[in-house]
Amino acid sequence: MPGKEIPESCMNCREAQPAFILRGRHVCQACYVRFVNYKPFKRTENYRLRKNMPQDEPCRLLLPLSYGLSSTVLLHMLHEQIEVMRLKTHGPKGFELLVLTIDPSTISSIPAHDEAFETAEKLFPHCSFTTIPFYSIFDFDPSIGEVMSQYANASFQDQASLSNQERLEAFRASISTATSRADVDNILINRLIVAFAKKMECRGIMWGDSDSKLAAKTLANVAKGRGSSVTWQVCDGMSPYGLEYNFPLRDLFTVELHNYASFFPELADLIIPHQPTSENTLTKNLSIDELMVRYVTTQGEKYPGVMLNVTRTASKLQSSSTRSAEYQCNLCGALMSNKDAASTTPQATGLHSDSLTPRICYACARSRPELSC
Amino acid sequence: MPPSPCANCHAERAVIIRPKNRQKLCRTCFLAIFEAEVHETITSTRLFQRGERVAIGASGGKDSTVLASVLKTLNERHDYGLELTLLSIDEGIKGYRDDSLETVKRNAEQYAMPLVILGYGELYGWTMDQVVAQVGKKGNCTYCGVFRRQALDRGAERLGIRHVVTGHNADDVAETVMMNLLRGDLPRLARGTSIVTGSAASDIKRSKPLKYAYEKEIVLYAHHKQLDYFSTECIYSPEAFRGSARTLIKDLEKIRPSSILDIVRSGEDMAELVPAEVRGSGAAADEEAAETTGCGSQSGRTRGGEMAEMEKKLAEDEAATERETEVTVASVSGGKRKKNAVKSQVLGKCERCGYISSQRVCKACTLLEGLNKNRPRTAIEMEVGLEEEESSSTLRRQMEKVELGG
Repeated sequence: MPGKEIPESCMNCREAQPAFILRGRHVCQACYVRFVNYKPFKRTENYRLRKNMPQDEPCRLLLPLSYGLSSTVLLHMLHEQIEVMRLKTHGPKGFELLVLTIDPSTISSIPAHDEAFETAEKLFPHCSFTTIPFYSIFDFDPSIGEVMSQYANASFQDQASLSNQERLEAFRASISTATSRADVDNILINRLIVAFAKKMECRGIMWGDSDSKLAAKTLANVAKGRGSSVTWQVCDGMSPYGLEYNFPLRDLFTVELHNYASFFPELADLIIPHQPTSENTLTKNLSIDELMVRYVTTQGEKYPGVMLNVTRTASKLQSSSTRSAEYQCNLCGALMSNKDAASTTPQATGLHSDSLTPRICYACARSRPELSC
Repeated sequence: MPPSPCANCHAERAVIIRPKNRQKLCRTCFLAIFEAEVHETITSTRLFQRGERVAIGASGGKDSTVLASVLKTLNERHDYGLELTLLSIDEGIKGYRDDSLETVKRNAEQYAMPLVILGYGELYGWTMDQVVAQVGKKGNCTYCGVFRRQALDRGAERLGIRHVVTGHNADDVAETVMMNLLRGDLPRLARGTSIVTGSAASDIKRSKPLKYAYEKEIVLYAHHKQLDYFSTECIYSPEAFRGSARTLIKDLEKIRPSSILDIVRSGEDMAELVPAEVRGSGAAADEEAAETTGCGSQSGRTRGGEMAEMEKKLAEDEAATERETEVTVASVSGGKRKKNAVKSQVLGKCERCGYISSQRVCKACTLLEGLNKNRPRTAIEMEVGLEEEESSSTLRRQMEKVELGG
């Protein structure tokens, strides 16, 4: 059979020249943008129209911006929605967008991205921007020092006399494996974002994760014993923190985000290019999160749909809030049942039951500093 | 470097680093701890009842051999009061099972346990060699797989035993969790991790007492206890999803040894979150039995085929919904999580054999019907036995040649 010929005009608008293949169809750039935009547009409708929520109070949403591809593209899309909303004089009030950046240079050893911060403020005038360092978690979440000491048992004692930066470094340094470090970092970053969102009286958080990121997150959570948390960690809906979690880019493939970003050259100055973990890194030196990103990326080249389906499957699980949850984990906030608190079989955890304080969930206990494997 | 002492007794020299948590142990302590953990699994789940007759699905491989040995030890040590029987299935593939069945026979003597070997021939009236002679080399895996799934249950039924234990280990369970997640199979995600399957719908209870035992520790146990098991290069080519999950789990184990148990834990937790309407009515056929028996044939199985097929189907579904939503823009309510309609499984019993099935007639009986239709001389062939098998494998070899040549 001869290969299909490229049609003369876009298969969607039948006017412009097709320039891209979008999910098996030859389309022009305008239709491509419209399609990609439409996916998150649909997912933010409730906030734009203020469905099932008070009409007169402010509706603030927080967008955590890492200057990665996904969160930058999401910011661009949501900002455009706001622009359109502002043009309508009698339309619904819609939402306000607050953008929070945790200074990437305070998370890992990459240069600060200050110029981008200024560029972003200019590009997206309808949003308010804040940048805070990672260690400001001690200010926004005052109980965290105590939680850290409690979590780490004897391996680490938080010293309030030190500077915040030193306190955080000391805690992070007490955790020995790459997996646990990445796991605990994620929890702390999440806590900081949530604390900020609450302080600013936000209704929900707009996470930038794309399909492949969510698939990797789902698999990594399962592999780390966080299976019961996938219902809110990768799904739209209420999180245990009382904030609505939204993943508007969940139906888009990373390649589509790449293409989208390339249509808007101004975004290039903002986006910190993703540094894939070196192919040469030994598997055992990766963190579970990195391994899963690698797995989803390699498998996703051949089977993008299968990877997308992982997250969809997770979304079909009933959220744990419908379960009779007794407590929340002191560290990650996941809902715990009695079973977790009792941590039933010590053999299944490989830990002695007496080393488990009841308020730390199974998965967090796995990432404890004293465990070297 | 001085030899490190056992982390448990502090007296003996440590000779084992536990794969599960890298603890250094001496031989005696390792064996004792391994047994204690299986005992803990059995008691905490109240797996057995006093006086219960239990069939151990025995293939002669490491898992079922260790299971038989540990159960015998624990049954005596803790006085479970169980009546243990070894039950082996012979697919009737000439030359394939001979060595492993010899191992099982020796095990029966070593453990002083009764042994029953049931062949596909006795259970279904067809040996695999006869099936191959009939249907050819392509597609016979379907028959073998479907028959194997039911064989242990059918065998137990014949012996009047209501409980079959299999050698599934923690690695197998973790693999199943990941595989079902990749396949998007919620009903199986809901039941794959439970220690007991098949209680409600079938009369036969199936369980996996080694559910929390690491594959590597099972090998160590067999080695240090000098158990007699049949180790063979695994020629079984796993189905693509399982293969992908298996590779992933091996990598995870390298990073964090506990992750196998963590996945099992996640699987157990997620099972509770599967909505009731997709669970299927209670338990269903345990379809992950491939591991304990192994499948020798690779025909018709191309690695990646299943994943590619699902990928194609998903892309088509996606395209279909794409077209659909564009028409119904106004009525779509975004934001809130929508309940995706999922087909629910209703499990009943096969009219012919009584085995649990979601259809009126179970898969095995359907396949048998097809086979029997084309075998007018059933009775004669059944009696020819050996010679017939011989000729059928000759025929199979001929067909292999034809296939390879073509």
